Amino acid sequence: MRDVKIVSARFDIDGMYRLDTALKEGAYSTLEKAFSMSGREIVDMVHRSGLRGKGGGGAPAAPKWRLVADDESGLDSVVVINCDESEPGTFKDRQIISKDPHLLIEGILLTSYAVGAHDAYIYIRGEYRPFEKILRRAIDEAYEAGILGESVSGSGYRVDITVHRGAGAYICGEKSALLESLEGKRGHPRLKPHAREPEWYFGRPTLVNNVETIATVPYIVANGPEAYRGYGTPESPGTLLFGMSGHIERPGIYEAEFGVSMMEYIERYGGGVRGKAGLKAVIPGGASTPVLTADEVKEARLDYESMRALGSSLGTGGMIVMDESVDMVGVLENLLGFYRYESCGQCTPCREGTGWSDRIVSSILSGEDDMGGIDKLMELADTMNGKTICVFAPAVAGVIKAFVEKFPDEFRAGRGGGR
Amino acid sequence: MGYTLDPEILERLEELEKRYPSREALMLPALWEVMDKEGYISSEAMEAVADFLKVPLSKVYGVVSFYSMFHTEKEGRYRIRICGTLSCELCGASEILSMLMDRLAIGVGETTSDGKITLEEVECLGSCSTAPVMMVDETLHEKLTPERLEEILEELK
Amino acid sequence: MSRMVEITVDGIRIEAQEGRLLLPVLLENGFGVPYFCYHEALGPDGNCRMCMVEIEGSKRPQISCDTFVSEGMEVRTEGESIESVRRRILELELINHPVDCPVCDKAGECSLQNYYMEYGLYGGRVGRDEKLHAEKRVDLGRGVLHDRERCVLCQRCVRFCRDIVGSAELCVAGRGERSYITTVPGRKLENDYAVNIVDLCPVGALSSVDFRFKKRVWFLETTESVCHGCERNCSIYADHAQDFDGVERIYRFRPRRNDEINGHFICDEGRFGYRELEERHMESCRVAGADSDEKEAEAKARELIERASSIVVTASADLYLEEMKAISEFALKIGASLHIPLDGYDDPDFSDEWLKCSCRASNRASVLESGIDTAYPKLTSSDLLINFDHPHISSSEAKRLDIVSLEMDGGDEADVTLPLSVWSRRSGTMISRDGVRQYCGNILPPARNERDIYGWIDTISRWKDES
Repeated sequence: MRDVKIVSARFDIDGMYRLDTALKEGAYSTLEKAFSMSGREIVDMVHRSGLRGKGGGGAPAAPKWRLVADDESGLDSVVVINCDESEPGTFKDRQIISKDPHLLIEGILLTSYAVGAHDAYIYIRGEYRPFEKILRRAIDEAYEAGILGESVSGSGYRVDITVHRGAGAYICGEKSALLESLEGKRGHPRLKPHAREPEWYFGRPTLVNNVETIATVPYIVANGPEAYRGYGTPESPGTLLFGMSGHIERPGIYEAEFGVSMMEYIERYGGGVRGKAGLKAVIPGGASTPVLTADEVKEARLDYESMRALGSSLGTGGMIVMDESVDMVGVLENLLGFYRYESCGQCTPCREGTGWSDRIVSSILSGEDDMGGIDKLMELADTMNGKTICVFAPAVAGVIKAFVEKFPDEFRAGRGGGR
Repeated sequence: MGYTLDPEILERLEELEKRYPSREALMLPALWEVMDKEGYISSEAMEAVADFLKVPLSKVYGVVSFYSMFHTEKEGRYRIRICGTLSCELCGASEILSMLMDRLAIGVGETTSDGKITLEEVECLGSCSTAPVMMVDETLHEKLTPERLEEILEELK
Repeated sequence: MSRMVEITVDGIRIEAQEGRLLLPVLLENGFGVPYFCYHEALGPDGNCRMCMVEIEGSKRPQISCDTFVSEGMEVRTEGESIESVRRRILELELINHPVDCPVCDKAGECSLQNYYMEYGLYGGRVGRDEKLHAEKRVDLGRGVLHDRERCVLCQRCVRFCRDIVGSAELCVAGRGERSYITTVPGRKLENDYAVNIVDLCPVGALSSVDFRFKKRVWFLETTESVCHGCERNCSIYADHAQDFDGVERIYRFRPRRNDEINGHFICDEGRFGYRELEERHMESCRVAGADSDEKEAEAKARELIERASSIVVTASADLYLEEMKAISEFALKIGASLHIPLDGYDDPDFSDEWLKCSCRASNRASVLESGIDTAYPKLTSSDLLINFDHPHISSSEAKRLDIVSLEMDGGDEADVTLPLSVWSRRSGTMISRDGVRQYCGNILPPARNERDIYGWIDTISRWKDES
């Protein structure tokens, strides 16, 4: 396993969030090259690099870029950077905005130019105030230096970045709910379009990308798509800011290329399971990804395909490590409490299903088990899957099924107490 | 007694409006201005925001009630938000929470009798590698231990 | 106008316009797909998920309120798999729904109840005590009460106030399972069409104080009728039944869909227009403003007619077209001039940009069509004024015989007042301000001891002849 640092290359440099330090370390060095190309050429580079979205979905980035770049309505396009990062176990985007914000700004400039947008909005979760301060200061410095504004670095191309603070709603990380929130409304996800089309912000064609996705663009422009493809696997090229938390010796964010062995990653960077107890389970990519047993962890590789083959998902790459002391019913209860609280409430299966599942698991824990039991829980998971407005409920369904199917002894109905 | 948005706030919002396709986008920015200044958003303040945005008052109310970080009542001078989601829970958040409730003599969602501190349990704060964590207003306190907690509470006195 | 295409639904071929929303097409063709949030006047919202159908070629079931008709589309609304989806989503609607049917007004016309009977028929998995509770009698204003436990959050009420009326008093507050419908605290519904949301609500979450607990809907008989509140002539349903004393009464008016006039809605005043027919009904005779028995009053009336050297007739602009014609002929026969003055019917505060018209003369168009003089009559002390129910005639030195259906302000001005049957017990044609003709059949049967217009014309003609 080799150490690879693409997005995190400058994280350990003191004062990297300051413009003078950033410039010294090479920030914004891609702009000249970029403005000498056409936007289309940059989109093409991103396409050839195989860059996949790093917000949890893993969908290829270029097709989304093309939908906005190719839009012929004549309306001004918009770029939105999703910094709502609220998926439990995920804390990577925060590293970028606080440790190397100029990398993100550079990425935003390249992306905006590529798709023909002049206005970019960074939607940042309200709880990230300390990091938001750093980001805002970096943006102010960039404006003062003429890197942002009417003529980006003298290119004649305008890009304005506006930071838009969220106010505590996990569902606003879902891109259509984010746009509703950015439009000044409740964060209710939108019905999905029937044909491929861009997102819409006040009727304008819009690209929504995760912070890390955008922060990867400068590397691709500077070094070329083949360089990016030099890391990772053919289907999952490049790197991700994987992270570990929970019962791990050295929790934290450690960038790695896709395809490495999950067990090796956990040992090498995380120092393995903390304490004396052995590994019991790992949630691989943030709470909304189906849990893996210790055996599955040993088989797993950190890429989208391997995870899917195991019936799970790579998600945001935020691994939550659990040792043998853990009660899986308690863990599921913790997670379902999260989902129950965060459901936007718009559609019936999710609004009622998240509530009811949480209550079933609580009743199992308390030994009462009088709300329909495991059978009902699995049925609910089925009802929540594929019948709702957005993917929140299907994710909950996947979470429930994995816990119940992989730890059947613990979910035996009627077990008493034990929190 | 109505609520009037401060001239500085209005100025900032008017400037901000130039960056958006519609004034309605200023909903969250306007509500945050009020929240940061007053510590809560009163119904009069909501009316002022509705007037400014030129949207129905019910729309503002629906938004304020949707987002966890907006509060409609004046509570403690300091707000403690302690994370209770999985990674923090795995790293001992419940013990810290119990200690907090014990030291402050209040439960979750309550405010100390001297009006100083409101205690909230929240979902993942995005600081899982330094769990357990809590925020005191806009400051994030990581890697909490009972000793560290004592120090923080001491500072708040 | 897009082209007609052929689609198949449950094996049956039907024709539909390409690009149309699938759900209404299914409903129009008699396929019983359940739904809450969709409404013809409000459009779809996609939140209830009840209208799911299977579409050939789609992995997952689709909501038919967000699916558009395309050539060759194959739809399945029946079958175990889609029915099981429906049943499960219905179960989720019911999970926290209180078992209020025995005390809920909506019973008998409730979508949830109907769907439960059609698809569900299972026992609840969550005990009554475990259901989440919420406020049950929230006063939203305008005579609308809200029960938050019953609400399925279809948001029809919110969308009506926001998109149709534009007053936007209602919103969804909270989040997730804790969401609820509300006005801004301290505020109430303020629009003149508010009670329409009671009709729109697919369950018993919204009820009308006016109708609450008064009658079970399965006892109600429904008659098509027309509102007499202003010249808009909104189409309505009148629901009536016998009360506990065996007396037949109207219990409520509801809007009747008429795409030419009022669409799906009526104003609140029109809705409650049935009340005055009972509350203000003129039942007794009067002589010089004091109650009198029938014999005495009629004798006095005959006297007035015998002594009259000249007669002027006025009539209400709310009478039916045929009644106006009959009075016209009567006036001609007795050599009297006939006037239906329209001035007094003007109420500028009553008009708005939607249904309400400042002209409260509901059958004004019939007056104009009949060519009847709309000027105010000049009255002298030698005249006898016979007034068929016009509410805005002020007296002069002329003698006056009033034949009225409802108590009027200034009703004491007449020398003799005789009772007329109310419009709900009479029938005839109304013409709306836009020229739409509607036949208004009597809602309740003619009262046995009361005369209608034709009855009074007969009687007065006889008195005239005999004098």
